[in-house]
Amino acid sequence: MTEPASLLEEIRFGYGPRLGWPLASGGVDPDRVLGQLTAQDPDADLWTGFDLAARLATLAEAKRRKQGKPPQGTMLDLREVIKRDSLAFVTRPAAARLGFVERLVNLWANRMTVSVLGGSAMFIAPYRDQAIRPHIGGRFGEMLRASLWHPAMQSYLSQTGSVGPNSALGLRRGRGLNENLAREFLELHSMGSGHEQSDVTELARLLAGMKAEAADRRMDSRATEPGHKTILGETYGEGAHEIDRLIETVAARPETARSVAVMLSRHFLADTPPDDLVETLTQIYLREDGSLPPLYRAVLSHPAAHGTTLSKFRSPQEYMAATLRAVGLTGDPAQTPALAKRANRVTEVMARMGQPVFAARRPDGWPERAQDWLTPPMLASRLDWAADLARLTGDRADPVAQTRAVLGDLASPLLLSAVAGAEQRWEGLAVLLGSPEMMRR
Amino acid sequence: MTKDLLLSRRAFLIGCSAAASPLLTPVSFAAASGENRLVVILLRGAMDGLDVLRPVGDPGFATLRPTLSREPGLPLDGFFELHPAAAELMPLWQAGQLGFVQAVATPYRAGRSHFIAQDALEHGAGGADGALGPARDGWLNRAVGLIPGAGEKLAVSVGRERAMILDGDAPAAHWFPVEDAGLSAQGLALLTALHKADPLLAHPFAQAQALTQATAAERIPRDAQALSQLGSYVANRLREDARIASFSLGGWDTHQGQTRIMTNQMPLLAGTLLAIQSGLGAAWDTTLVLAMTEFGRTVRQNGSEGTDHGTGGVMIAAGGALRGGRVFGRWPGLGEGALLAERDLMPTGDVRAYAGWALCNLFGIEAQAVQQVVFPGLDMGDDPGLML
Repeated sequence: MTEPASLLEEIRFGYGPRLGWPLASGGVDPDRVLGQLTAQDPDADLWTGFDLAARLATLAEAKRRKQGKPPQGTMLDLREVIKRDSLAFVTRPAAARLGFVERLVNLWANRMTVSVLGGSAMFIAPYRDQAIRPHIGGRFGEMLRASLWHPAMQSYLSQTGSVGPNSALGLRRGRGLNENLAREFLELHSMGSGHEQSDVTELARLLAGMKAEAADRRMDSRATEPGHKTILGETYGEGAHEIDRLIETVAARPETARSVAVMLSRHFLADTPPDDLVETLTQIYLREDGSLPPLYRAVLSHPAAHGTTLSKFRSPQEYMAATLRAVGLTGDPAQTPALAKRANRVTEVMARMGQPVFAARRPDGWPERAQDWLTPPMLASRLDWAADLARLTGDRADPVAQTRAVLGDLASPLLLSAVAGAEQRWEGLAVLLGSPEMMRR
Repeated sequence: MTKDLLLSRRAFLIGCSAAASPLLTPVSFAAASGENRLVVILLRGAMDGLDVLRPVGDPGFATLRPTLSREPGLPLDGFFELHPAAAELMPLWQAGQLGFVQAVATPYRAGRSHFIAQDALEHGAGGADGALGPARDGWLNRAVGLIPGAGEKLAVSVGRERAMILDGDAPAAHWFPVEDAGLSAQGLALLTALHKADPLLAHPFAQAQALTQATAAERIPRDAQALSQLGSYVANRLREDARIASFSLGGWDTHQGQTRIMTNQMPLLAGTLLAIQSGLGAAWDTTLVLAMTEFGRTVRQNGSEGTDHGTGGVMIAAGGALRGGRVFGRWPGLGEGALLAERDLMPTGDVRAYAGWALCNLFGIEAQAVQQVVFPGLDMGDDPGLML
């Protein structure tokens, strides 16, 4: 049994309190929140999907059978697997005991986005579980390495088609480099500034020949670009170990430190992050060799983490999970059949709110600022969802008690009187679920 | 830009298989022998009885409601007028198949809370504080248990919400006629107030509302369709084995913009009654419909062209079994000292007494059993003569 979080921890560093679950008293306790990084969460783990190996085995088996060879093993129903992966994007945080862990997984997976738009849907859940999740409590360099080498990332950013022009394959077939992954690695995943086009091209030369078929780090020597590469003023040779050395070098750059510092403080505390916090995080990152828990501790200790003004606007995923938690549901249609209806399916609603699951439009992922989630149709969809969810669960609800349970002292007198003033119980709940307070964290 | 947004909004509205209706709510049925039928409609949100049944003959009325009842009503009996948007019901009034009970309430007096008052109305046994008995069941369900020869009980609850009124030991089936609705006008007003107070959300919320309203026109035909679907479903079940039906119709909480809301609500209520009438055919002659609400509203209009939570209200009665064309009950007056707490219409009758006598006359339940089991603690008094 994990230690309960406090109300403010659940709201600001998780997905909101879950109706009926205990809460610790007090505000944000950095030690307690960081304790989540090493705790177990069986409720969330129910939503872990099949791993990469099982999925790849299915693809191999399908290929074998297509070639008329006798079946060797069982096959997953990949359509169902992907459907469940998508559902888990909402149900997992809605069910989780360790909200901070889930927030971190989603934050980092968004920084190093893979999307079905240009990528393969079947690799995304394994990417999140294998490249991101195990590293949220480690060093950033290790996460960067796991991400860069993962088949999901390789295929999403076209690395699989990148061939050294002077490699055996390049010379024979006349093929060349694809700079996509090299560029986004420097631009989005790590430094964000301080590099030049020549660094991108040289990095693409270094990356040519990475093998995407499995999770281990191997090079396809037929596609590897021979010769020296000069990246950020340092010289690299060939091979996986040289790529790993480059990753460590990039991870240690002050630009990377600052970019991570801005991301963390902007995500958790304010769209315009406090300068002092960004500076502090940058220094800690450089001093601690990119170790992430000390950064989290600094965020959790900053005065802005303890204030009772909810200044951040929840993303659709955060909002949906928070509303489901507020009524004690996970969004699983197996538990709540009304959520199986097309209009009520959480994945459909997510798309209407502007965050179609695993379908970020660009490699920079989902936006972080409130304005990007506030178009009229997106907001109208949130209000529709609030009404639908309240209809579904509100017939015997006590909306005022529920408001106190999920917002505590953060519920304004205005909100409490509005919830109490609705003409029916379910509408009182709809007012709570559609309120500005529920959309903030 | 706006057009694109509208289109995208439409695209997902069309994706919904059935329509939202502000009406749709559970319908519950119970079977009984005999030809008499009872329909209980719960008007959730506190219908303003003084706007539906306007006491224009009282000298105080025009002063208390300077703008709310500006559009002339439909003369009924020289003292009262009917809300003009309910004109469709006038033929029923003239045929003696529509009537009203004035200045009624439940015993609940404590806090004018919708939630508690609706529970009190459906539970039927509460005191002034609105507290429920241990069974938390509904009075109509308890009545079903008392009907001689009820035999195989059949109760059908329609919609996603549960209604307490037919909750209890009687078995219930479920029917979901159409998708449920968005918020009532009052629910929307409450949300609007919250978002208006938020600098980040005020403007986007207004835009989102404008978008919803711009596409609402597409929902109206579906609402009408759903409404006749509901009415004919209720009527069909009552023509077969069911003899008691109950459902609710929300959207009556008119704190602001009451004229607009009532102009929308009254045709919906009228249409529902007429759909039941036409669906029942000859069985309408032995049917009584009672439309009751949790409480009335303040006699003075408030500063936002609306009215607030009050006490005494109106019950609407209809059906071929009704001795209609008249207003039942006693008028308490609007003058100095006549109001409850100087703000509410003083109740002169208990809404449960009328329902109780209806149960006696329709289904042969003894008055004593009504006072002990259906509405414990109620003194029903003399039969008010609601029925033919």
